[in-house]
Amino acid sequence: MRQNSSSALLNRGLFRRLRIPATATLFIVMVMGAVLLQARTDAPDRIPSYIEWTPETIAAASAGDAFRGSLLAKRCEHCHGSEGFSPFGATPNLAGMNNLALWKQLEDFHEHKRLSRVMEPIADSLSPRDITDLVAYYAAMPIFSDPQDNRIFPQTKPESGHAAVAARLITFGDGERGIPPCQACHGPVAYRVGVPSLATQNSDYLLNQLEAFASHARANDINEPMRTIAALLSVDERQALAEYYGSGMGLEPGGATVPK
Amino acid sequence: MNWRKLRTFILTVLILCLIPATRYYQIDAPLLHWLHGSSRVNPLSLHLAGEFVENNLGTQQDADGSVTVRMIAQQYLFVPHCIMVPAGVPIHFRVTSADAVHSLAFLGTNYLVQALPGTVTEAQLNFPHPGDYTFPCREFCGAGHYAMRSELKVLPREQFPALAPDERRNCAAK
Repeated sequence: MRQNSSSALLNRGLFRRLRIPATATLFIVMVMGAVLLQARTDAPDRIPSYIEWTPETIAAASAGDAFRGSLLAKRCEHCHGSEGFSPFGATPNLAGMNNLALWKQLEDFHEHKRLSRVMEPIADSLSPRDITDLVAYYAAMPIFSDPQDNRIFPQTKPESGHAAVAARLITFGDGERGIPPCQACHGPVAYRVGVPSLATQNSDYLLNQLEAFASHARANDINEPMRTIAALLSVDERQALAEYYGSGMGLEPGGATVPK
Repeated sequence: MNWRKLRTFILTVLILCLIPATRYYQIDAPLLHWLHGSSRVNPLSLHLAGEFVENNLGTQQDADGSVTVRMIAQQYLFVPHCIMVPAGVPIHFRVTSADAVHSLAFLGTNYLVQALPGTVTEAQLNFPHPGDYTFPCREFCGAGHYAMRSELKVLPREQFPALAPDERRNCAAK
């Protein structure tokens, strides 16, 4: 009989015993192969920042202890000033900055999503609680400080042509090119979550950041708003905006006003 | 139960069914997923995973000759800021919002695409004539709304560069 002869040929008993484990092994190998191939062919996602602005994140980032932060901030004073106003133009002023904006930057330094030879090691040494407490301290500082401790802010006023260009961009943006007004997100008209106020920022720092966004050297803005806008601005406009904010004109009541 | 009560009950149920029927694209039901895929996304985590991560935005060449364009609308700009498509080719336009409701009004055409947070809007567009089409935001979305506008560059089909399967294109050098 044919069945008998073929069973003898295949050693049917062994075949039957191994059929299920063999199929399972084959299946597992195929799945693993598919997963490995998938991992090899898919380009990795480019992630600007690991932060997700959920209500829980915002609550956790806002629950800092400003007193403990004031003790930790002794380390920061050399560069960022004892009153949150930096004595160096290329270092940001932190006084009165929105707490979520500060928290996001420290977290991004910690995750190496924003690059800085100075700030990355410092942020690495901070625990999540340290970051929240420092942020609470700097956010609580007044934005008007003793001029004796605050030597370089505000800087000299820009020439009138530059001031007019900056005021127009801050108040109206440029609809033709699709540049939104700065004050719609950076205040004083409106803020988005995690966006810094620029009214008391140093001009050198602002210019450096705009250049870095335009060249994608800094790429930690979620959904690329600043990389897009900085690339749309001309070199002259970036300079004008940095000078305008650096001279303290963003603090004027009613926000920016447009000269005729 | 008499007929009157039953009739009232049935009418109430029918009227209640009308509410989800007008918002069917926002219903998160397994049956709908099975029928045409989930259109739900988390507007807060578009940048972390899924089809709207940075390096997946822009124009993608599909195998059948059509193109897929993925875009995020946010306060107060569209990303990518300028997109590029070939003329006369079906465009699967997929857009979502990261914050408020926005809408894209393609000037010179009758296309109007709404971008809703939490939902992927898919529109089938086709631009037969090459040219530059401006699309401002047509849904008031906040303080910078009036400056929110982007550009769609429609190139003749032979000028549109051939894209690799994992390549995404916008007007700025890829």
